[in-house]
This record gives sequence, C-alpha cells and structure tokens, in this order.
Amino acid sequence: MSRLPPIFYHKFALPLPYARTLALQEQLHAFQLHHRRNSANHKDILLMLQHRPVYTAGRRQISTSPEVEAEAKRLQGIGADFVATQRGGQTTYHGPGQIVGYPLLDLGRWSPPLGIRDYICRMQKTLQLHLSEAHAIQHVPSDNTGVFLDEHTKIASIGVQVRHRLTTHGFSINVTREPLAWFQRVVACGLADVSAGCIADSVLDTGHAINTDIDIRHEMEGLAERFGRFFERDMVELDMGTKEDVVEAIRAVEEDAQQAGDWLRVPTS
Amino acid sequence: MISALRQISRPGSAALRAARRPAVPQTALRASLFARTLVTKRYTQDHEVVEFDDASMIGTVCITDYAQSSLGDVVFVELPITGTEVAQGEQIGAVESVKAASDIYAPISGVVEEVNEGLADQPGLLNKSPEDKGWFIAFSKDLRNSEECFIGWLCKIKVKDAAEIESLMTAEAYKAHCES
Repeated sequence: MSRLPPIFYHKFALPLPYARTLALQEQLHAFQLHHRRNSANHKDILLMLQHRPVYTAGRRQISTSPEVEAEAKRLQGIGADFVATQRGGQTTYHGPGQIVGYPLLDLGRWSPPLGIRDYICRMQKTLQLHLSEAHAIQHVPSDNTGVFLDEHTKIASIGVQVRHRLTTHGFSINVTREPLAWFQRVVACGLADVSAGCIADSVLDTGHAINTDIDIRHEMEGLAERFGRFFERDMVELDMGTKEDVVEAIRAVEEDAQQAGDWLRVPTS
Repeated sequence: MISALRQISRPGSAALRAARRPAVPQTALRASLFARTLVTKRYTQDHEVVEFDDASMIGTVCITDYAQSSLGDVVFVELPITGTEVAQGEQIGAVESVKAASDIYAPISGVVEEVNEGLADQPGLLNKSPEDKGWFIAFSKDLRNSEECFIGWLCKIKVKDAAEIESLMTAEAYKAHCES
C-alpha cells in the first residue's frame, strides 16, 4: 500500500494583503489543476499567514446587493479592506494577531476520496486539539462550524471552496487580542449573539503557568503538526530555495508584503 | 452502447414531474408524459447526475446521493440563469454546506431551460436527491395542492448533441469511481 506524499507547508512572516493572497491561492489552484491533468506531481500545500486588516464576505452574499455594498463602504471607512469571495460561510474578519491557514489539497488523493464534511471535520478537530494540547483551552461542542469557547464566544472559523476536489480558503484562529476590536464592528459569520475570543485571553483566564509571550510562528508549527496528525500525512516545510512555480509564486507575494509597509492596529473610528 | 431506463409514463406514475411553483397551470404537464420516452441516466466524476429524455432533448441535472451525503446539510444553492448557454464541464453553480462551497459543473452542453426555484427557499431539498427515491408526486385533483411533490433537481438543460451523454459514466462505472 503506497503512502500519500507529504503536505508542504509555508509560514509567511509578514501580514499579507488579502486580495494579493487570494490571487496566490488561485494561481496555486491553477498549477494543481494543470499538473494533475498532466502528471500527478501536483503538490498539496498548507499556507499559514496573517492578513492585513480585512473583512471578507462569502458566496451567499451577493457583492452587488445594496446591503453588501453599504457594508463594504462602512468597513472601508474604518480602515479595513473589504473583499467578496467564493468561499462558504458569511462575513468575517482577518488581521494581524490571527493565524489564517489555507490548505490547498486534492481531496481525490485519498482512496476513496475525502468527502467535504470529513475534510471540514478534520480541520475543526485540528484547531480544537491545538487549543487543548498547546494551551489547555477546552472548546464547547456546537452545531455551528468553527470552534467555540462557550456559546457566545468563537475563537476559530472555517470557510472553504472546493472545485474538482481541489480546496481553497480554509481556517482562521485568533491568537492575540488585536483582532477583537475589529470583530466588534460586524456580526461575524451571521451569528448575532457571538463575539470573538482569542488564545491570549483564555490563557490568562485559566491562570495556566505558561509563557504568555505567544509566538505566532511557534503557533503555526503546532497547527501544522496537528494538521498532519488528523489528515494522516507527513508535514514538510516547503523548500523556498528551488525555482519551481509554487515557490516563485509564494516568493512574489512575500516581496509584495515587504513593500506594503506598516498596517493599522485599531479601527480608525 | 446505451444503458437506458425505458419508462412508460402513466398518469400517477413516478415519472410525472412538475416544478414546485405557486399556481402551476395544468399545461405545465408535458405532452411526452403519455408517450413512450427513452430516459438515460449518467454520472460525472464530480458527482453530478443527469437524466436525459431523448424525446424532449432535456437533461435534468441533480447531485448524486453520494454527493449530498458527503456534503452534509445543504444551506445554500447557487444556480445558473435561465437562457444561459453552457458547455460540458463548465461551472454552472455551487452548493454550500458546513461552510464549504462546492462548485457544480454542467454534465452536458446546451441551454439552461429551467432552474429549480424551490431551492432558494428550501436548499435542503437537494439532500433529498431523487436518485434513490425517484421522482414522485402525490396526485390530487388540484395540482397546486400537491405539496408532497419534493424534487431535488438543480436545473434542466436543453441538449444540442445527445451523443455527449455517452461520454459520461454509467451507474456501475460511477459506483466503482466512488469506491476507488
């Protein structure tokens, strides 16, 4: 029985502009589709990053509707970007202090192919296990997709798109307090009585004797390792020294992020 | 080689179908209902199923039972616009469940004649795939009160080239595909 190839992961250092990263996802998706048709040497990838402040809408929300246009204007007015996407789920926020993960996987690699519900379930379990193993934070079960600390506090979200069994978009998990003020400006995920939680707050609450200097890159390593456990794949850091198309595309985004300079820490109003 | 389901339509039989709309006029029943039609059912790799009626040249598109169960509860369905010309393999819409939006592709080329408007209010109808359960209608004197008429179809495409159907998988091939 042959083992499946590893999932190659990459941790971005600087917060990335959303639209540019969405373009990267589409590029990598196109590479996967192309390589899959021609050989079978397409790579499964996990990108881990932070975004510059941005609110995004999902597929159900029609970007040209008056409600969405008004919302976009309002949120741009407080200093964030606004981007309509083709993922599942509704409005959410991404920004520094929150880790975003984009697993770009071929669900057809598994035999039989991994079903969508199963894919989402394993992603959710990865986040739940990371919270409990790395931070002794317990979640509560919920009918809603995502990870909740209690029925009114959501710490992680999921929103995914699947085309020809290739996945894009993924998950986000709040690490520091920085995203919280931004979350207060919207009804995220269509849940009116829910507010955002973060690892930093929960760690302080439990009085757990750990180093409260939460290191984002260290968190990303922990998430990647647990992701590998639930998906039963080896996780290998992508070698950025090669000239392959995937690596060049990622490098271009990192260079753009460096040019973008500093970002807004709190909403302007 | 055609693997076909030969259905003889009779009043009150499972082959009768009508869109779930307010005030459906009696003329919505097609004339082919009372004639013998050849209906071919084929599957795509991406889990669409098309039932093609060679008399009307209409292919009715649904998602398979395998697809609806692997998706989970459908909360939103994005459909093509009536009158759109689609090519085989082209993206024609999406289905959303558990925060995953999954694209749907046209199994055959043609023009979208009708879409299932009922899915806008009741996206969960798609989980009741007609594949195993079949089409049915509770026959009543007044067609407008046939509330039992649930139908999880997506859209109907008027097909130009019936031969395209042959390029799709049969039920056996599809079953093997799902299990591989």
